[in-house]
Amino acid sequence: MTDGIQALYRSHQAGQRTKQFIKFGVVLGLLVFGFWTVRLLEIPMERLLGMFGRLGTMLSERVFPPDLVYASQWTILASMVETIEMSLLGAFYGTVITIPLAWMAAWNVTPNRSVLYPMARAIIVFCRSLPSLILGMLLVSIFVFGPFAGVLALTIGSIGFAGKLMAEQVEAIDMGPVEAIRATGAGQLEVFFYGILPQVKPAWIGIIIYNWDARLRGSTILGFVGAGGIGIHLREQISLLEYHTTMGIIVLIIGLVIISEAASHVLRERLR
Amino acid sequence: MTRVTQAIVGNPLREPSVVARRYVAYSLVFLLVLGMSYHLLVVETDWARMGSFSDIVDNTSSLLPNLSFVPKIIVPLMETALIAFWGTLLAVILSVPIAYISATTTTPSMLLAFPVGKAIIVGSRSTHEIIFALIFVAALGLGPLPGILALACRSIGFMSKTTAEAIENIDRRPVEAIVSTGAGAVSRFLFGVVPQVLPIFLGNAIFQFDINIRRAAILGMVGAGGIGLHFSEQMKVYNYSNAGACVLAVVTLVVVGEVISNRLRSKLIAG
Repeated sequence: MTDGIQALYRSHQAGQRTKQFIKFGVVLGLLVFGFWTVRLLEIPMERLLGMFGRLGTMLSERVFPPDLVYASQWTILASMVETIEMSLLGAFYGTVITIPLAWMAAWNVTPNRSVLYPMARAIIVFCRSLPSLILGMLLVSIFVFGPFAGVLALTIGSIGFAGKLMAEQVEAIDMGPVEAIRATGAGQLEVFFYGILPQVKPAWIGIIIYNWDARLRGSTILGFVGAGGIGIHLREQISLLEYHTTMGIIVLIIGLVIISEAASHVLRERLR
Repeated sequence: MTRVTQAIVGNPLREPSVVARRYVAYSLVFLLVLGMSYHLLVVETDWARMGSFSDIVDNTSSLLPNLSFVPKIIVPLMETALIAFWGTLLAVILSVPIAYISATTTTPSMLLAFPVGKAIIVGSRSTHEIIFALIFVAALGLGPLPGILALACRSIGFMSKTTAEAIENIDRRPVEAIVSTGAGAVSRFLFGVVPQVLPIFLGNAIFQFDINIRRAAILGMVGAGGIGLHFSEQMKVYNYSNAGACVLAVVTLVVVGEVISNRLRSKLIAG
């Protein structure tokens, strides 16, 4: 009896030792990897240590106080409105395109598993994999400088972002109602409108609002590459080294994002 | 009797005032979209400069990737992945104390620590990574180091917010059992809270790494290291096929990162 317990205890201890050994190995591996990274990226460690002093003087002398008189000019406010419009339009068009795509990209209810499903999945993956600023730059070079490219970039971003989430929601539905409606001889569209849509509607509304929130954050910076919105003023003031006015614009952007977050929270609560 | 009343009253959703209100709401949304589309896509867009359809096709085809440029961007691509990795790791480590002070159940002081934690979360989540990168490039100079710090600052908010929510939603009973043994605050956190939160925390960290690869790809545009620098350089000298190669490389990296993180997360959920 005691032998058995002792053997058990010993094997437990051995297990603990292996676990600790693995943990030690992981930490050691990370450290080696870290040193290798510092060598490869040629990171100047002495600059890292002197950073806080320089950040402090930079923030206190050149950045604060933010120039809110500049930021409340009419042209800046008009650009802010343009930014909001861009985010709304991009999210709207993106959602309109995403709804059928999400339906086709859900394995359980897709109308056609051999052609439409892989096609919809490929479109969503492609739209997801392009970072928004790179996309904005490409679209500005293909089309034209201005909010058209921005709206298009936000639309593509929406398809990638909302498409995956919405398709996941469709894949999680209860198949009972869908089969019941199919049994009445309904076509694919009727199955979508009466069997799928009522089940995913609350989740989809949440995703659509969340997507708009994310697009608004993205649209504040798209002007950096000339795709419309407030970003163009940001870029201009930074290249003029006018840090006070830059900070004024940043304060405006942060305010807008906080308001949008509160608004989307209220909207979600009300629609629930 | 019931049938008659049903026939008269009908479906409450079909009541005329409800239907009318719904149509008014739809038409308002439609008018709003129309107005905004007109403003942005017709008034503000220079259609004359956009050129004909064949011009657009020409421009698009000039972006076809030049594959001979790919060997030159492999090192910057690795740099991007490393920036994403170390930025995420730094954010993961720093987010633990911030989550601790901004979860209502564990915060040491609702008056002092809690608002500080919340302010850090809001500031980090509502500032774009490019803005952080600009600040750090101004303070530290060019290179991947400001990129890592910018990504860390950007990710702290998400990590702390989700972790704080997970801490607030844990099962309180194990914590109470540990409290009843007379344990202090540290062991209460380490043995009561951490084991319950860890799987969620690791899942979110992997998710954040996936997002950070995308973010790291653009940081180079403002001089914070990685492939973005090469991309924006090639765009500036109008060498579109080389820029196309950079885009191809970024897309490959992002897709690989997403596949890896999906695998890791499903493994984490399974066992």
